[in-house]
Order: sequence, then structure tokens, then C-alpha cells
Amino acid sequence: MWDYSDKVKDHFLHPRNARVMEDANAVGDVGSIICGDALRLMLKINPVTQVIEDASFQTYGCGSAIASSSALTEMIIGKTVEEAEKITNQQIADYLGGLPPEKMHCSVMGREALDAAIANYHGKSYEQSHDDGEIVCHCFGVGINKIKKAVWENHLTTVEEVTNYTKAGGGCMSCHMRIEEIIDEVWVDLERCGVPRPGHAPTPIPSIKIKTVSSNAQASFDSATENSPFKAEILKILADVQGGLPAGSKVELVAIEDHNVKVKLQGEIAQGMMREMTLSFVEKKLVALDDKFKVVGV
Amino acid sequence: MDVNNLGVGSGIYLDNNATTRIDPKVIEAMMPYFETYYGNASSQHGFGVPVEKAIKKAREQVADFLGAKYPDEIIFTSCASESDNTVLWSSLWTQKDKDEIVTTKVEHPAIIDTCSFLADRGVKVKYLSANSVGDFDEEEFKSLLSDKTALASIMWANNETGNIYPVPRFAEIAKERGIMFHTDAVQAVGKIPINLQETKIDLLSMSGHKIHAPKGIGALYVRRGTRFLPFLHGGHQERGRRAGTENVPYIVGLGVACELAKSHLEELNTRVRALRDKLEQGIVNTIPEVIVTGDKTHRTPNTLNVAFKFVEGEAILLMLNEYGIAASSGSACSSESLEPSHVMQAMGIPFSAAHGTIRFSLSRFTTEEEIDKTLAVLPAIIERLRQLSPYWNVNKPQVKQADHLFDPDSQEVRA
Ligand SMILES: Cc1ncc(COP(=O)(O)O)c(C=O)c1O
Ligand code: FES
Repeated sequence: MWDYSDKVKDHFLHPRNARVMEDANAVGDVGSIICGDALRLMLKINPVTQVIEDASFQTYGCGSAIASSSALTEMIIGKTVEEAEKITNQQIADYLGGLPPEKMHCSVMGREALDAAIANYHGKSYEQSHDDGEIVCHCFGVGINKIKKAVWENHLTTVEEVTNYTKAGGGCMSCHMRIEEIIDEVWVDLERCGVPRPGHAPTPIPSIKIKTVSSNAQASFDSATENSPFKAEILKILADVQGGLPAGSKVELVAIEDHNVKVKLQGEIAQGMMREMTLSFVEKKLVALDDKFKVVGV
Repeated sequence: MDVNNLGVGSGIYLDNNATTRIDPKVIEAMMPYFETYYGNASSQHGFGVPVEKAIKKAREQVADFLGAKYPDEIIFTSCASESDNTVLWSSLWTQKDKDEIVTTKVEHPAIIDTCSFLADRGVKVKYLSANSVGDFDEEEFKSLLSDKTALASIMWANNETGNIYPVPRFAEIAKERGIMFHTDAVQAVGKIPINLQETKIDLLSMSGHKIHAPKGIGALYVRRGTRFLPFLHGGHQERGRRAGTENVPYIVGLGVACELAKSHLEELNTRVRALRDKLEQGIVNTIPEVIVTGDKTHRTPNTLNVAFKFVEGEAILLMLNEYGIAASSGSACSSESLEPSHVMQAMGIPFSAAHGTIRFSLSRFTTEEEIDKTLAVLPAIIERLRQLSPYWNVNKPQVKQADHLFDPDSQEVRA
């Protein structure tokens, strides 16, 4: 049996604010019957003061899903929308005296319902307010943005933890590799923000890499390239990519023409599959900057 | 009553397919083999003699219970999982020209997970599918067999639904093609009559703790003449088929448990069956939107699996536990996995029901009073959880502002 805190049990057996609020002016629906939990959060927000005057819920799910919903309503009643938006899933879990790690996704669901309700209050549809991004876990329909957010806010380091928080990876497991990549990506940023990654050798400081590359690449560019507003950032991205290449391989900027970026590849990455992979990798990085970018190898 | 410690109180135990209460008579029979007869059965002195005799007797009791022709066809193991693993490996090791295993989608993890482990290492595993009541098609079974099949393994009764499968018939089909046949009979023994002599079954696994013996003891039946290699190598115990100094008290316990199970078989199929039917009728008559899963016409007499639509199984279990009632659920949340039980999935039970399945499994220790108490609290529990569920909208006001409808049949996922 799950080791639930007394507070979780109390909120499960005596849920607060469990009812349908007919005249709610903010409604947030999240979850699905397929995944085994779903939540409708209903709020009455004072349009003048922006204070959440009442909150109620309807939840389908396990004990901790019901308890998390109940806790959330108690936490937000009396707060302004702006204050409520700052509540994290960890705070919901803390309010309940902690949740078993496998059940953290219940607190995440509460947090999402709040987002959805506030979006609904502002007249946005779920689709408008929601950008899942690339769907990473097809078994549970979890997008990259949700995973990134969970990793970022809760400093998750393993696939198992991501599964506990988002359910992603809890089915066929074919997405585990991708989740690992995403964890790594987020940690690069977290480390930049000064959060040390537990049990991980720190990644080399990027500025050093830039130096070595820019000293080699004393190339002079044509005026279109020199004047491109993206030049500095593109060079930085290429330097980053360069850092991860096998010894003897090189990626160099040739020219920037509007959103077409020409690069030159050298060494083992210049041929065959490695070439394709490197080019598409660079393009992916650039697209994050601006989705019009195209990369061509010359 | 301490709901976190129901064993010492007046808890109502309806989870006998998970494990059973040890019969006091079993404990009584075991005790001397802890206290007095601690010798090693292999020893050439007077400490060993009574121990060897006790094991011999237990072997005869198990053989008699299963209708085995010879007691030496019984090998004591540590659990049914060990018996299952042994069979899968042995069938491959002893038939080097064969590399396929035929089994079903609703087996216990002891078979299914071992098969997928083997599949990752080059063994071809073919799974017989289950229909909506969890039964198999004989023709499909035939079509899966080939001259590469090392083993066909089909459980005799399913642990979740209680479905009883025509295993003697499947064994005949396999035998006609010279294919080794195994059955995981953990959930069948003690609930239906079994007489191995009359069947073509080569190998059978069973477990002590499902028939009121302790956990950590099982048996494997290996018909004389069946190719076999041990799973555990070492000493020459069990005629060289399973190394390790015999777990004497537990073996004695299993022997007695088998004898008791034999004498209570009739009771299981009359009194206990009637209680199960009463529970089923009580639920179906008082609670709307429930599905009894499995094959109602071929079920072990102690098992009832019901899906309560629109509510989640773990929540039901927690509430039942508050009343001291113990059952189990096939829902995702009550297990370590995030998906509903593979058995419910194989049967194609819709998600709106699969997450809300509860298995009640009775035993000869179950009383009518316990069933009545369960029926007295269950409708209110389901009603309470449905009042909380956004998928249940009977007699509920509707929210005006909502731009979305919770549809239990929808595939949509809102993250
Ligand atoms: C059908 C079936 N097979 C095998 C097992 C495993 O038995 P044991 O716990 O003795 O390994 C079980 C018990 O859960 C079972 O129900
Ligand atoms: S795709 Fe993520 S678990 Fe299957």
C-alpha cells in the first residue's frame, strides 16, 4: 500500500470544495481517462480585485490525485490570480506533508489545472493556451514542454523521476532515450544558472570553447554575413556544436544569406550519414533561435 | 481497528488470490521441524532420518493432491515463480533445435516477464490473444504451434479474472504435435479438481501461499519421461533436479496444505462459491454502471473481478481499507506500473472501466457476515467517488463556462 501522509488521507477521505460550481468564471480541465486521472478545477475570480473568491474541483483518480486537488483549492482561495500563479507543484506536495515520489504527477496535474483555469478565465481555449511542443511520450501523450518544466522546477535528474512527475516513460519505455536527452538539455541551462547537477561532472565552461574556435576561424565574411543580426549567435551555436564533435572534425560558418546559413564541414563528419546528422543537428539548434533558418553544407 | 495493521484486528480479507492466511493446522505441523527435527535430510545419522521421512510424506501428499502417478514427479521449489522460470529455461536447454515458446497474453508476470527477457535474447515468443471475456481460441493456439516450438505454456486459471482455461485440451493438442506442455496452475489448485494422470500435461507449477501454506514454498510437477535440466545447480537434492538443502518445515507445511485443500475442495465449490455469487449479485443489483469481467461460466469459485466505471481503483481500495476490507485492483495507480493491468488490456476492457477494476477473492475462511459487511459499505463508497468524478454527471449541475466535456470514451489526453 502507498505510504500516504495523514494529511493526504485526510484530504482524500474528507475532500474540501469537492462540488460542481455552476457559475464558475474560470474552468480548467486536465488529464484523461486513459491515463487514469483527470481533474476539473472551477474558480470564481473577482473581475475587479482579481481575487480567487471560491474554488472547487471534480477529480477522477487515485487517493493522492483527489487529495492534491482538494489541497490546491484550499491553497488558492483568497489569493489573487497573480499570487496563485506562483504556486508550484512542490508547494502542493509540501502542503500535503509530502507525496510518495511515484505520485508526484498528481501535484503536477493540480498545477496544470490551475494554468488551464486561468487561461480559460482570460478567454483562451485549451489549445490556444497550450503548447505541448513535440510529443515525447506517446503512451501518455506528454509533450516536451511539460517534461522540461518538470525537470527545471524540480531539478529532476533521472528518467524514473520524470516518470513520477509527468508519467512520461511509464508505458512502453521507448521514449526513455529522448527523455534522457531532454534532462541533459535542461541541466545545461540549470548549471548555467548556477544549480550544480548532482553526481555529474560539470560540463566545460562554454566560453573556453568559443575562444579556441574563434581563434582558428579567422575567416572574413562577406558583408551580408557581417551585417546579419544573427551572426554572433550563430557563431556561438556553431562553437557549441564544435565542442561536441570528434577530434579532427570541424564545422565552420561560410555565409549567412537572410535565413540561409551555409556551413563547411571537415573531417569524418563531412561524409555520409554523419554529414546529414551534423547538418540537421545544427539546423535544429538554429531553428530554436528562429524557425525560418535553413542550413546547407557547402 | 488500525487500518494500517488489519491482520491483528477484525479485518475482512478478500484478497486470497494475492496470498492466503496460513491454516493453523499447517503451522502446527511445521513447528516440530523448526524446533526438534532440524537435521539435514541427506545426513547419514539419526538426525536426518525423521526429516527424510517427513519430506517423503509431503511429496506423497502433493502428488496425491495433483493426481500425479509417482511422487518423484514432484520437485519442491522456493515458489511458483521459480517453477515457472525453471520450466521456460529447461525446455530451451533440453531441445537445442527449438527456439520458440507459445504462451498467452494474460499469464502472470512469472511467465510473461521471463518470456520477454528471453525474447530480448533471441527466443521467439508467440502470444495467444484473449477475447473480451479473457478466453482463448483453440484454432489460434494450433496456428501458433510449429516444429520450432520448445514449449507451450498456458495458465490453468487466471489470477485476476479467475477464468479457468481448458488446459487438458490444450495439452492434448500440443502432445499430438510432440510439443512439451506446461501450465501455471497456481490459481487453479485447490479450487478445481485436478488429476494429472488423466491429462497430457508434462509440467505444472503451483505455489504454497495461495493454498494456506506459507510464502516461499512451491512445487513443480515434471511428468516422468519429460526432458529436464535443473535451474539451480549444486547438491543432489530432489534427485539432482533442484539443488539446495530442503526447506523442511515449509515442505511439510505444503504437504499438509495440499491435504487440507483436497478436503476443502467441495466447500470451495459450494459454500464459498455461493458467497462469491452473493457478493456479485449484491454489487450488480445495487451499483449502476458496473461490469463483471472475465468468463462468468468458467471461473474459479472464489474470484470476482468487477469494474466500477468512472472511478479509479486505488481510491476504492483506500476507502475499503478504511472499513477494514482488503481487496486488490488492476488499476494503474495501485501498482508500480502506470498502466492498467495487462490482463484487462488484453481483454480490451475500455479505459473508463479498466482503471476501476477491483478483484475480490475469497477463501474457505471467508464468512457470510464478511460478505454482508462488504455489501453494506461498497455502494456508498462508489457513490462517493462518483460524486467527485468529472466523468460521472448523473444528477449533477453543469458548469456554464466549461468549453470542454469530459468524455469517458475519448482518447484525448490533456496535459
Ligand atoms: C498465476 C500465478 N502464477 C505465479 C504466481 C507467483 O507465485 P509465487 O509467489 O509463489 O512465486 C502467482 C502469484 O501471484 C500467480 O497468481
Ligand atoms: S512512449 Fe513513453 S512510455 Fe511509451
